[in-house]
Amino acid sequence: MSKLEKSDIKKVYWRNIFGLQWGWNYERMQGLGYSWVIMPALKKIYADDKAGMTKALKTSLGYFNTSQPMSHLIVGADMGMEEKSGIENDAAITGLKTGLMGPFAGVGDTIFLAIYRAIIFSIASYMALSGSAVGLIIPIIAGAVILWVRYKFTWIGYNQGTRLATDFAGRMKVLTDAASILGLTVVGALIPSVITYSLDFKYKVGKVTLNANDLMDQILPALAPLLIVMFSYWLLGKKKMNSTKLIFVLIALGMLLGNLKNIF
Amino acid sequence: MSVSVSVIIVLCVFVSLAVLDQISIQLGPYSPLFGGAITGMVMGDLKTGLIVGATLQLMTLGVATYGGATVPDFLTGSIMGTAYAIIAGKGAEYGIGLAVPIGLLLTQLDILARLTNTFFQAKADKYAEAGDYRGVERSNVLGTIPWIVSRVLPVAIGLIFGQGVVNAINSFIPQWFMDGLKTAGMILPAMGIAILMRYLPLKKYWPFFIIGFVMLAYGGKSFSILGAALVGLAMAGVYVIFVGNKEHTATTSNGDVEVDDDDDEVEIDE
Repeated sequence: MSKLEKSDIKKVYWRNIFGLQWGWNYERMQGLGYSWVIMPALKKIYADDKAGMTKALKTSLGYFNTSQPMSHLIVGADMGMEEKSGIENDAAITGLKTGLMGPFAGVGDTIFLAIYRAIIFSIASYMALSGSAVGLIIPIIAGAVILWVRYKFTWIGYNQGTRLATDFAGRMKVLTDAASILGLTVVGALIPSVITYSLDFKYKVGKVTLNANDLMDQILPALAPLLIVMFSYWLLGKKKMNSTKLIFVLIALGMLLGNLKNIF
Repeated sequence: MSVSVSVIIVLCVFVSLAVLDQISIQLGPYSPLFGGAITGMVMGDLKTGLIVGATLQLMTLGVATYGGATVPDFLTGSIMGTAYAIIAGKGAEYGIGLAVPIGLLLTQLDILARLTNTFFQAKADKYAEAGDYRGVERSNVLGTIPWIVSRVLPVAIGLIFGQGVVNAINSFIPQWFMDGLKTAGMILPAMGIAILMRYLPLKKYWPFFIIGFVMLAYGGKSFSILGAALVGLAMAGVYVIFVGNKEHTATTSNGDVEVDDDDDEVEIDE
């Protein structure tokens, strides 16, 4: 077995950045991509071990699915383990992969999908709404930072190997909690600013015209958006409800609210 | 106004790159924001593109492919919506109204692409059996084709027949329906926000949600999302300083990590 060099690990990193999900499919999800990503390392490790290479190839093609940024940790740890002890114990490799991909997916999706996107893209969108395309550069800059984080993750995984499950996971929990606090603050802030709807309904009592939206705003600013969000939140908690069905519910609600004037 | 061949080609190339971005780096081109902006730029009306893209983006903030779930294709939706709005000359709201149903319809193509790739997975298994690593590598690279075709096809067809589609919409769809879609566009961001509230531990950390809401509800004129994010960052920092570090030493001395599952997670998509 040959040792990995820095250039091999960099190759794996770049492949992980681009190609983990090219071959995404319902049978093994990222399995095919995982194999492609780790290939440069396998080629080096099993350069003169044909049987080992075949076994390692098959192991790398197994079922795999996790958050992409977090996958670097697992790929890194896999490289470290195979470099040290080969593919003799392929169950250990599969165990590492399947054991970590679930928890890492939860943490990674929370931080890198939910919170990251909500913050970065809402700020960029606001600038776009005011007619400025400059905001588009924000996701690009933030993306460059993510690329750096993912590079670090590859090395952390490689250096920690099997210890990854205990040491790093503990730190990730604190980070996820902190990110959740940041995320929920932004989510709360999004409601009054993103939902521009105001109730278009006037009611005449004698000579006085009551504007329903003004009344609601006196109780609480942005009450109408808050009510719609709470309604959606409540609906999503129902069994058999999912985001696609919720779109239809909200479109129906929009049809109703958008034509209030014509109905009354 | 019909769409010129060069515009169609440029947008097809863009959507190919964008879908690769979507399944890899997620730098930006995959987002509805970029989809609208690029389409607007190419078709000579950047402002409309920015508004359609940004509105769709805000609408879908919480919609993400958690765990590889299929979600409506709002990227292609924003490209088509922007294009139709510019062709019809009826403003951004027209495009926003159309982008949502288009995105929903295209969900099926995304599923088809993911199904098709099962074929390459099977191929790769055979190559691996034979120790042919080049074959395995090729299979993953070929996996990009279904992704690209599933996005390029609707964009190309939708733009070639652009004028016809717009005429059909204008003559068959009643005004009240378009009004309804407009209002739906205003309230649809509630979906993205509600998904985020379900996804993040709202029950555990609800006070921060209220702080965020109050900041913008009462101080919307003088506060921005970035401002709220900075306040959130500060509170997250306070948490790490006073609670997080203690908790971390506690978990590591125990040797095992507690995973709390007290938030009732919902199935985001089927």
